[in-house]
Amino acid sequence: MTDPSVTAPAYDADPAAGDGRMPTTAPVLETPDAVSAVAVADPSARLPPPDAALARLRAERGERWGGRGPLHWLRRWMTSTVGLRRRILLTFTLGALALAAILAITTYGLVRSNLLEQRDSTSVRTAARNAQEVQGALRSTPDTSADALSRLTSLGVEAPVIQYNGEWSAGVGRFTADDIPVALQRRVLEDGEWSRIVADVGDDTVLVVGIPIPQIGAYFEFFSLDEDEQTLNNVALSLFLASVITTALGVVLGVLAARRAVRPLAETAQAAKAIAGGHLETRLPPTDDPDLSILASSFNDMASALQLRIERDARFASDVSHELRSPLMTLSASVQVMEARRDELSERARSALDLLTGDVSRFQGLVEDLLEISRFDAGAIRLHLEDLRATAFVRNAVAVSSAPTVKVTATPRAEHAVIRGDRRRLARVIANLIDNAKAYGGGDPEITISDANLPDEGLTHVRIGVEDHGPGVPVEERALIFERFARGATAGRRTGSEGAGLGLALVDEHVRMHGGRVWVEDRSDGATGARFVIELNATEVSDDGGDGDLA
Amino acid sequence: MGTRILAVEDDERIREAVKLALEDEGWTVEGAASGEEAVELFARHVPDVVLIDIMLPGIDGFDLCRTLRRTSDVPIVMVTARNDTHDVVAGLEAGADDYLTKPFAPKELSARIRALLRRVRPAAPGHERLVFGELELIPEEGKVLRDGEEVHLTKTEFRLLCELAENRGKVFSREELLDKVWGYDYFGDGRLVDVHIRRLRTKVETDPAAPRHVVTVRGLGYRLEG
Repeated sequence: MTDPSVTAPAYDADPAAGDGRMPTTAPVLETPDAVSAVAVADPSARLPPPDAALARLRAERGERWGGRGPLHWLRRWMTSTVGLRRRILLTFTLGALALAAILAITTYGLVRSNLLEQRDSTSVRTAARNAQEVQGALRSTPDTSADALSRLTSLGVEAPVIQYNGEWSAGVGRFTADDIPVALQRRVLEDGEWSRIVADVGDDTVLVVGIPIPQIGAYFEFFSLDEDEQTLNNVALSLFLASVITTALGVVLGVLAARRAVRPLAETAQAAKAIAGGHLETRLPPTDDPDLSILASSFNDMASALQLRIERDARFASDVSHELRSPLMTLSASVQVMEARRDELSERARSALDLLTGDVSRFQGLVEDLLEISRFDAGAIRLHLEDLRATAFVRNAVAVSSAPTVKVTATPRAEHAVIRGDRRRLARVIANLIDNAKAYGGGDPEITISDANLPDEGLTHVRIGVEDHGPGVPVEERALIFERFARGATAGRRTGSEGAGLGLALVDEHVRMHGGRVWVEDRSDGATGARFVIELNATEVSDDGGDGDLA
Repeated sequence: MGTRILAVEDDERIREAVKLALEDEGWTVEGAASGEEAVELFARHVPDVVLIDIMLPGIDGFDLCRTLRRTSDVPIVMVTARNDTHDVVAGLEAGADDYLTKPFAPKELSARIRALLRRVRPAAPGHERLVFGELELIPEEGKVLRDGEEVHLTKTEFRLLCELAENRGKVFSREELLDKVWGYDYFGDGRLVDVHIRRLRTKVETDPAAPRHVVTVRGLGYRLEG
């Protein structure tokens, strides 16, 4: 059974359930933590529901994948749930572990066989020499093997066993003839061969060497392997520790390598974020790494293409607006001349003139807004900042707007708020909001100025609220309404031809340029109507000079 | 003889429409399609106000403005394509008294022209001579003397100086000056004041970089000192 969330990007089936932002078609890729920012420039973005074809395709893929083997599933699990960094780390760790294990096992094996071989040959040599001693001793005193044994003892031989004329005699050591494995006895005594065997006697591991002595019997000697065991144990311990250290080093290297491997991704993510944030000139630095240079150059190509396209679009809008200005000038001047001669016109001509006048002024507003917004896009806007007393500024802005009688109220604290801004641009913001209220909000709005801080905090923000008497803005349209030319369903229902669709977009641009933000909510008093709020940084002054000109 | 306006604009249709609209105000309008033609017309008959589009073929609006300024203090309104700093400040530096950005409504243009015409005929009569150190203002004659020698100011510069002089020692904010001299509301362009103050200083100050008369009061505005 295929889990669709693994095989394809997850889709939010209901864009309206989100925050009401414009659905975007950018696919959200499943990405490791550091890279997630690339795909989701706007975390609030929602995807549209998949269409039927996509769903079908997904189902088909699911079936196909369903028949694959476990290795495939492991890989899928790895790639889908384990991030790139973790995969690199895991690879390094497992690699180091495997390498250490192979090295340790091989080393141990070699050391062991070498050690035993050496032990074996020295033991056989020693035994042969001792056997000759025994042979010599038995020749001089052929009665008993006791002399031979005492001679061996004096030579420091620890565990000899002699079979002499069918009689067994052992040295002072712990081992007796009973401890000699039967197989060895048989090979030495019956077959007359030199032989040795490793055996466990009691708690000890021993090498027993048997040497036949012709016509006399045989000589056996026990060599303890405990020391070698101990050595081998030490070697094993050292190798184990070395393996652990190697693996640990592998982990460290893995972490470093993973970090290094992901760094270009993080840089790319950062660059993509910067581009999404409007810094279209952002590029990745050139690199010598052949693998990365492909990424960097294709990313940069993409950014250049994007920039070119955006600039071309912006220039087109700007060019169009510039071209429109000349005929517009002629139109508005001509209309004014006709307006001055209204009385000479017939009833019908007057109606036509009214329509013409209205639309020419709307056209003019639109072109001005377009020019302004293309200046924003071109980044050609420079603010002329000065300190402004918020209340005095708003009252002045209202006085020169299309509704100079709009009521402005302020909280006592807001009376002391000083904002830093470009007065002409901020006045435009107020004027646009008033125009918007007049067009869609049922006539003149009310304006409130309030501080946005708790009483025990310092004043850092001031809010200018424009409250209208219209139908309000539905929640799902509240972000959309600040988009260019986005009038929204509600706006469409509203009557009248006002509203070029750029006014609120310009408000948004201006306010953001001032480091503030703007949003729309319900009226604060519970009545129906929208409340547009501009929040700006502010400082508090104590004096009472209220002319708005502090600069 | 009524008010004469010279409109320099290369787009014939705009020129015609503006001419029609301004004539409705009762003014006589002459149109010129190029700077060269404007200089010729100007030499034949000095108008009361000149309207110059800075985007002209041949000598451009800035050059035309400077050319006219060499011989005349006639009020000049510049028409700029963009209201960004470069064009506006360059136009004002070239000697323009005011500016408009395309597309403007003809009503706006009439209002600007009326303000300029008002400026040419300063209201306050009966003022005595005003003396500020080596500077001497004779409002009635529209004259300024420095060490007894006449200084040539444009009408707007003269009006600006008179406003500052009428309230000796008072600090005028940019907005006040915009209102009193240019007839703008609270949201006029402060650059008009700044550039005109700069121009005024080059004429009345001994050392314009260290002004002793037209003084900037940091954060507040300007003041005239004796």
